[in-house]
Amino acid sequence: MTIEETGQKGSIQLGTESRILPSGEREFMLDVATSDIELNMGPQHPATHGVMRLLIRTDGELVTGVQPHLGFLHRCAEKIGENVEWLQYLPYTDRYDYLAAMNNNLGYSLAVEKLMTGLEIPQRATHLRTICAELNRIASHLIAFGTYGLDIGAFTPFFYAFREREWIQALFEKICGARLTYSYIRIGGVFNDSPPGWLQEVERFCDVFEAKWQEYYDLLILNHIFVKRTANVGVIPPAMARDFALTGPMLRASGIDFDLRRDMPYMDYGEIYEAGAFQIPLGSGEKGTVGDCWDRIYVRMKEMIESLGIVRWCLGSIEDGPVIGDIPKVLRVPNGECYVGIENPRGELGHYLHSDGGKIAIRCRVRGPSFVNLAVLEDIMPGTLLGDSIAIVGSIDIVIGETDR
Amino acid sequence: MDFAAIHDHLKAIGAPGLLGADEPRPADKKAKDPGRSGDPYLLIDCARIVDFLLVCRDDPKLSFEILADITASDPAADDEHFWVLLNLLSIEHKHRLALKGLLPKANPVLPSATKVYRAAQWNERECAEMYGITFEGHPDPRNILLPDDWVGYPLRKDYEFPKEYHGISCE
Repeated sequence: MTIEETGQKGSIQLGTESRILPSGEREFMLDVATSDIELNMGPQHPATHGVMRLLIRTDGELVTGVQPHLGFLHRCAEKIGENVEWLQYLPYTDRYDYLAAMNNNLGYSLAVEKLMTGLEIPQRATHLRTICAELNRIASHLIAFGTYGLDIGAFTPFFYAFREREWIQALFEKICGARLTYSYIRIGGVFNDSPPGWLQEVERFCDVFEAKWQEYYDLLILNHIFVKRTANVGVIPPAMARDFALTGPMLRASGIDFDLRRDMPYMDYGEIYEAGAFQIPLGSGEKGTVGDCWDRIYVRMKEMIESLGIVRWCLGSIEDGPVIGDIPKVLRVPNGECYVGIENPRGELGHYLHSDGGKIAIRCRVRGPSFVNLAVLEDIMPGTLLGDSIAIVGSIDIVIGETDR
Repeated sequence: MDFAAIHDHLKAIGAPGLLGADEPRPADKKAKDPGRSGDPYLLIDCARIVDFLLVCRDDPKLSFEILADITASDPAADDEHFWVLLNLLSIEHKHRLALKGLLPKANPVLPSATKVYRAAQWNERECAEMYGITFEGHPDPRNILLPDDWVGYPLRKDYEFPKEYHGISCE
């Protein structure tokens, strides 16, 4: 039959082709007019790591476009910075990347201390800051590891990750009273000295965790299904990584050897690197291509072990002493402006502070690594299958608190 | 290279739009100068920003491949300029550079840096919605953190908080 004979109208047309099947039936070829679906990976979704809306346009299973919509967790941190005093702003810093709160406190404190020329940070405070920042890096990467497995469909590593994290959170609770948003690293040093036995418990954690790490690495990262789902997926070439200003594990997974702790050191990191306590893991395309999702999770896993090296070095060289400098209750920061960037677990966390000599900042800008890293999604997601796009979003390891501030 | 060396090199190669430097200085009680601490900044002309950034990125001695941050600041309600602040990072040479451009509030328009760095795209969207700065040539000038129908530019010093939004009271 031809189209004219059937008198068909509408979007489903009988094609002019047909054939006879072995059963004797006639099979018609249909020309079905399709259009791309706009899928809402909406603000409430288990795999978007927070409240983020991804408007995905798909042609069947193939993603043809993605548009991230942010701002659901925007809490005006920068405006608040212009309205509260310097010391009062510290708890707000905890809450951008709430999984790495120690590092956020550290970034802000270092930025304010840079403006306060002549301020001496006690040596014990620097060591405690480093220990807490690196333990928090391990905790944050554990979440990256656990939740990434969860997004892909591996439910068990999530529980192991959170069990290890419980120990770190218990350590932090002993030293500062909080499990997630610490406000421990303050301007001038740290808030509280470590209670007796704390440093020994950190050492015990390092020993136990190192053995456990190998199990988790073999369980998930070398798992055949995990490799199949993440290798050669979401490849970010080095030139693209530089163009998008990716920092942190995303940059190192694309093979670019750069870490702020080693290359533009702050606190004692230069000395710690010279002593050989840590190395910088890089992505090498071992399972697929350089800069694919597997490389990113590989770099994060390896960084956990390197952080243990840093913690052990600090435990070996920490000495007794004061833990905070002499900071007045109402702090007036000298006139000036500075930008300080530190190596957060997710990338370079930058604080730009402008002071006019008063009690309150004129400008408190937060350069959140998750915000900058997320922009790459608009370029690497189109052209992948829908299942791979979940793997890509998870591998960027964002925290919406930092994306939106 | 430290700041002085970078500044001299840019002057030597004739980078377009380089206006000067704003360097830290100690307080001077006699001159009633509070001093200035922190980072040295290079002052640039906002209108020539794209050419300047191309020089920064492509010159082999500078090679600032990474645009760490592009943001803006409103120093005071009665100040007639915005400050556009950039921070460049070089992976190869391991140095940073901070740039500052003065943008008149009466006409806050400057070329978009997306021609040079793709990283500028989202940061400029945030600047634009928070300060009302227009980046000419930006490929996607939508609001990023604020809702599409938000009225006003929140990070300006003379911003008035709205009384209500879609019938929800903001008091």
